[in-house]
Amino acid sequence: MSSNVSDWFRSRFPVDEDLLRAAGSEPIPGHLKRWWWCIGGTPAYLFLVQVVTGILLTFYYVPSPDFAYESVQAISNDVRFGWFMRSVHRWSSHLMIVTLLLHMMRVFFTGAYRRPREINWMIGCGLLLTTLGMGFTGYSLVWEQLSYWGATVAANLLAAVPFIGDRLADFLRGGPTVGQSMLTRMFVFHIGALPTVLVGLISLHIFMIRSHGVSELGSPASKDAKTFRFFPDHLLTEISLALFLMFILTFLALVFPAGLEDKANPLVTPEHIKPEWYFFWAFRWLKLMSDQAAVVTQGLFVAIIVAWPLIDSWIRKRRPESEASIAFGAAGMALLLVLTVWEAFYLMH
Amino acid sequence: MSLDQKQKIIMALAGCFMAALLIVAWVEGGRQRVVKNPDAVVTSQNRDCVDCHRVKSPGIVGQWEISQHASSGIGCIECHQAEEGDVDGYDHEGSFIATIVTPGDCGECHEQETAEFEASHHANAGQILGSLDNVLAEVVEGFTRFDADGNKVEASAAAVSGCLQCHGSEIKVMADGKLDPATWPNTGIGRINPDGSRGSCSACHLRHNFSRAQARAPENCGRCHMGPDHPQLEVYTESKHGIAFAANRSRFEPLMEEKDWIPGDDFEQGPTCTTCHMSATKNLPLTHDVGERISWTLRPPVSEKIDAAALAQGRQVKSWQDRRSDMRQVCESCHAPEWVGNWYIQYDNLVNLYNDKFGRPSTELFKMAQSTGLLTATQFDEELEFTYFFLWHHEGRRARHGAAMMGPDYTQWHGMYEVAHRFYMEFVPQLREVIAHGRQSGKGAAAAQLAAKLDETLSSDHHKWFIGKMSAGEIAARKAAAEQFKQRYAQ
Repeated sequence: MSSNVSDWFRSRFPVDEDLLRAAGSEPIPGHLKRWWWCIGGTPAYLFLVQVVTGILLTFYYVPSPDFAYESVQAISNDVRFGWFMRSVHRWSSHLMIVTLLLHMMRVFFTGAYRRPREINWMIGCGLLLTTLGMGFTGYSLVWEQLSYWGATVAANLLAAVPFIGDRLADFLRGGPTVGQSMLTRMFVFHIGALPTVLVGLISLHIFMIRSHGVSELGSPASKDAKTFRFFPDHLLTEISLALFLMFILTFLALVFPAGLEDKANPLVTPEHIKPEWYFFWAFRWLKLMSDQAAVVTQGLFVAIIVAWPLIDSWIRKRRPESEASIAFGAAGMALLLVLTVWEAFYLMH
Repeated sequence: MSLDQKQKIIMALAGCFMAALLIVAWVEGGRQRVVKNPDAVVTSQNRDCVDCHRVKSPGIVGQWEISQHASSGIGCIECHQAEEGDVDGYDHEGSFIATIVTPGDCGECHEQETAEFEASHHANAGQILGSLDNVLAEVVEGFTRFDADGNKVEASAAAVSGCLQCHGSEIKVMADGKLDPATWPNTGIGRINPDGSRGSCSACHLRHNFSRAQARAPENCGRCHMGPDHPQLEVYTESKHGIAFAANRSRFEPLMEEKDWIPGDDFEQGPTCTTCHMSATKNLPLTHDVGERISWTLRPPVSEKIDAAALAQGRQVKSWQDRRSDMRQVCESCHAPEWVGNWYIQYDNLVNLYNDKFGRPSTELFKMAQSTGLLTATQFDEELEFTYFFLWHHEGRRARHGAAMMGPDYTQWHGMYEVAHRFYMEFVPQLREVIAHGRQSGKGAAAAQLAAKLDETLSSDHHKWFIGKMSAGEIAARKAAAEQFKQRYAQ
């Protein structure tokens, strides 16, 4: 009987089983036996959590300035387990950005972006930028006072982009002011366009990893140079991490559930406009110079990060022992950290 | 790490996760869901109040959640916040608040409504100390003492739970900052508040949902305007207005929550108390001064036009003619001007009849008995005092209110009939006893003066039938009419 069912499926899903076995036997570098080297997979897992909770939240969310805030309020207060789903959604977004940054730092400081993985680094940068876009659009959907004015500042910042800024800002807002059109666009970006891009980039990222193999750490002679099988060894590590993350998310949702500020009021500008923490650095930078200078320099900074494998390669061709990447990475991290802490202290006081 | 160790770790983590989910389920199970208004906005400064009171007193949160206040983001702190120096202010969970929300507080936003209310008779309803009603509650029914400074130190339970619940108490804050239970809870309409303001908006606008439909319901006014001495609710229920409203109530009620409820525009029949006395019409604005359209005062022993007392004191107020003109505009939302004019003639005639035949004569006779010393100085220690009180305060008002609000049975059987019965069968005989007692107790002159006044009254056209002085022509006409009636029913 079971043989018949198995045959029935096999005839309809003509998958090459040898290929599957080979995929399961993918050699994984020994250093990945330690969980802290496995953090690259956690953003993808957290994204999955957000997809599930996001679908549930979308059942109740109303993308209209008249009802958006109230619907979020209803999700938090009335919908069964709504507060939990919203809190998990929110915390997983924070954790996704944290783990993405940690993963990128690991890749950057271990030089894992170097040949032949330059393009995958750029895909990873695309993943980070798309995730930040997800965070920004999701924050705006709540339509509370801070998120409304945060969106207003972002649109104004976009308008400062040289040559095409006004058009970009108009495109984001759907008109001259922040209102229904912008909320609709944010909603479409958040639940449709950006997740689609993320799925594409994640798939491409994983495909590239499997194509190149996971990068080695250290010299070929080291203990970590030994490999182990993807299935079941590494899979069990990933399952452990996923369960740990679920526990942490549940804990955070229970202890620090997602709150709600006052409803957006276009007529009252808050004393302090506060973006999410991962934009603190950009917000502080903005306060230090003109909008246009801030946009241009931030764009340049992002471009350098994206193109760093090429820049690094160019430098290393000329000075093979150069540690420019470490210096650049450390300086960049220090700058981002200082700006973030500076803005955080400013907002606290 | 071996695979076996990994599996154990996974089991442990799965256990932690399941335990955390159980806590989530427990938290979810403990959450109260009484929100009926999806538009309710809980602002950050009210979040703690709502979360705590949703558990401790869910009713008030539920009331608020269905209010327009909630939809507009007006919450607990906006109304209950006290200012430094407020005698009834106290710290509560980090906020300085007052339990009582006064018209002064409501007036922060509802300025015009508060000003209109404060100019109304309602706002003075708390000043009843010294009235006959108050003597009855505090002396005859209950007990009140005064200290050396003339302050009440012990209240009458009858007054506290009865009179003052409608009229309003004078709120006292005790030395420990708590509210004196003799004065609070109280939502009487003329309440005298710790901040000096008069009145209580929640007397009519039940907290905390402040529904317009509820405020416009006849039962709302009927909380106080009912009973043997001023049965406005019963009269209204008997009237065609009340019948029409009852017949259409389910159709009207959803619409009564709307801001405007204009007779002739928003509905075609069945006005309630507020429609005539307060609501906007096509030409009139809404008013919270309920006396704005009243031309007679039906409260005292002898009715007078509503501006008479003020004019006698040299105060300029809106004239009774202007008030009547405004009320006519309300009537004419549904009735023809001639109809309204004729109705006012009928109403005036009934009030004048009561005044001329019973109200004024009985008052003059009673006051003469008092002033000449034929009655003791103590109020309500003699039967005549109760009889006179019943005559004007209960039956006399019922007759007049019956006519004012188109309640025929209250005008006649609960009204003028009982006035007449009280006058002829109790007031006059008791007055004769007082006269006889006066003659026996050495007050002959006073007794003679009162007897002459009583003879004069009974000999007038209104009362001469009672002493057999009806004219021959009138006797014959009555007899003929009675015969015709008998013949009709004999068929």
